[in-house]
Amino acid sequence: MVMNKFKKMEYSSAEDLVFGEAKYPQEYGLGLKVGAGSVVPEVNFAPRPGSEKTVESLKREYVDYITKDVLNRAITLGFPALQLENEWIFQLGDNPSKMATPVVRGQKELMQKFHDEYGIKLAIRHTVPDMRLHEDGLRLDMDKVHSYPEKILESLEVAAKNGADVLSIESVGGKEIADHAVVRQDIKGWLFGIGYLGSLDMEWLWPQIVDVAKKNKIIPGGDTNCAGANTSMFMAGGYLDKDIPRTFSAVTRAIASARTLVAIEAGATGPDKDCGYEGPIIKAISGRISAQEGKGAQCAHCDMMGNLIAQTCDLWSNESVEYHPEFGGSSVQCWLSVIGYEAALMNSAKQLKQDKVLRDIYVASDRYRSPEGFILAYDNAYKIGQAIVEVGDSYYLRARAAGIKAAELIKESNDKGKLKLSAQEKDTLDKILSDLRSLPDEEGKFVDWALKEYANVPAFNPKNYEL
Amino acid sequence: MLDFDSVSSDALLTRYDIVAESKEKPETIAERHLPKDALLRKVAEDVLYMKYKIIEEDVAAALKEKTPEEIIENGLLKGMDAVSDLYGRGIYYLPHVMVSADAMDRGIKLAEKALGNERKVKGEVIMHAAEGDPHDIGKNIAAVLLKSNGYGVVDLGKDVPVETVVETVVARKPLAVTGTALMTTTMSAFPRISSGLQEKGADVPFICAGGAVNREYVESFPLGIYAEKAANGPGLVGKALDGWDWKKIRDKWDDIQSGSA
Repeated sequence: MVMNKFKKMEYSSAEDLVFGEAKYPQEYGLGLKVGAGSVVPEVNFAPRPGSEKTVESLKREYVDYITKDVLNRAITLGFPALQLENEWIFQLGDNPSKMATPVVRGQKELMQKFHDEYGIKLAIRHTVPDMRLHEDGLRLDMDKVHSYPEKILESLEVAAKNGADVLSIESVGGKEIADHAVVRQDIKGWLFGIGYLGSLDMEWLWPQIVDVAKKNKIIPGGDTNCAGANTSMFMAGGYLDKDIPRTFSAVTRAIASARTLVAIEAGATGPDKDCGYEGPIIKAISGRISAQEGKGAQCAHCDMMGNLIAQTCDLWSNESVEYHPEFGGSSVQCWLSVIGYEAALMNSAKQLKQDKVLRDIYVASDRYRSPEGFILAYDNAYKIGQAIVEVGDSYYLRARAAGIKAAELIKESNDKGKLKLSAQEKDTLDKILSDLRSLPDEEGKFVDWALKEYANVPAFNPKNYEL
Repeated sequence: MLDFDSVSSDALLTRYDIVAESKEKPETIAERHLPKDALLRKVAEDVLYMKYKIIEEDVAAALKEKTPEEIIENGLLKGMDAVSDLYGRGIYYLPHVMVSADAMDRGIKLAEKALGNERKVKGEVIMHAAEGDPHDIGKNIAAVLLKSNGYGVVDLGKDVPVETVVETVVARKPLAVTGTALMTTTMSAFPRISSGLQEKGADVPFICAGGAVNREYVESFPLGIYAEKAANGPGLVGKALDGWDWKKIRDKWDDIQSGSA
């Protein structure tokens, strides 16, 4: 497959990046427009434990409780548009034809009913689970135990044929090396895992997702490096956490952006996934619509950039919440209210032509809260994007360039006394810079070295990447 | 673009991590654990300073004058004690612990070879990530922490069927079994494991942890003991080693975490 790798930025200036507008807006589902002048809330949910036992109980949970509650709340509060996201649980992906078909179909039927009755613009994203186990094989015909690679394709078909408007996945290529590297603070290993192997896996996976979407006339959305960069981010955590330094997680996020971009290079049109915090970099490079999550996703994540990350979103998400009662309704209703009101605020700012002011207020709030938020502020995200496209042809070189640029930006701000760093964060940053700069400028040399260096990492099988 | 530099971040956030940074030097804290004997100290410092590339050389040198048991107990493990202390105080981060543990493992393997057999572990822990769950980084971290505290680990891997966990526990009779899950719908394997173990009369503490797992859920089924993070593992298993049953560990959970039990 020939990939259309990015060699230049779709935006000519960071200043052009703002929420609710993308260079390539999309229209899909039941009249929904995204990136065309307004921000749309995207609500995501999880069924209660126990509901997965039978197809009937699962359908009841997803359709009769969750979807109905969500749609009722959207009408109650007058939200003009809404995207739902069904992030499939294991039981749906393990037996998609039996377990997922009635759920996907039931959700869409109910959405159609509300659309017909009230005119609300709606769409649903189905994110199929990537259950592949590295030790059993990532490619077709390799996993003789569970056939998980085949089940991904089956899941995509079931979703597409029964009501999905957008297809997404949180793919896990390179995670076996990234998991090994993150707990050893080994940035070279992380670069190999996500920057290189992760990109190769995306190059294999995403053309297939795009094909299924095209065949069914729906949208191939995008991916996220939840499996890698979010692992770093959550381990780095907040000011009480000491698992890994936040400078390490910030640099892994930049590296991850070079890998998540591959979905778009394979034909995905956006929206990328909400939990891909690398989204601002992807949008700056590609001009594609972006889903993000922050302060409205505190039900799922405690991140350090709750306001800032709203800066360039086109869909504003709550990440995921388990269905349960709250004082103000069910959990899905409460969190839809939070993100729906935030979208209304952003859309008001757009009408009043104050959107770039609001964008900058969001950024100012969290710009110096953490190194990761700092490098994702749209002006810095743009610079990282430029570093990527300068060497866009090579997965390795562009991921490395993204990491170096992020580290340099952090160092520069810290030297000026703006972005504060702890002693450990500083030491780590210096080591990251020297490690990344010491790597060879030729992809082949790096890969040869890495294949030897990480040959004994459990579950690493070069055949998963045709190496 | 507004002038971001005109905003005082001190008025928006407080860097409590920097406020609370330890004023004590890591070397001063480590000194309390390190042995005086030069050969053993070298080995302990290799663990403390993560010198995994030269530790085997230093252990081999120590073996010429010291017994393998001395090197393990008074060298390698003392180095790891210093690492644990620094980690507990927030001076060392998790990667330091992982790389130090790698170094210690290399040293122990060499010492065990000289010993002619494997050193005696305090007891065995069986670990797994839940059926349907491919996320196992937490389990892997916990395994390293348990091993570096002297426990033997049988790692069943990820996406492990309920029956496999039950059969292994029944056959090996460990001190404790652990399960991790990221998702609410995979953690539902835990009560099934609990039932399976109880049916076979295996009354072993079942330590459960992971992203979606919470204390209320874990304490809703017999045997279940909640762990908030990987670092809780050695403390909880230590109580099983002391002869506490799962009910007592659960009852005294808060005291165990605060260090008062």
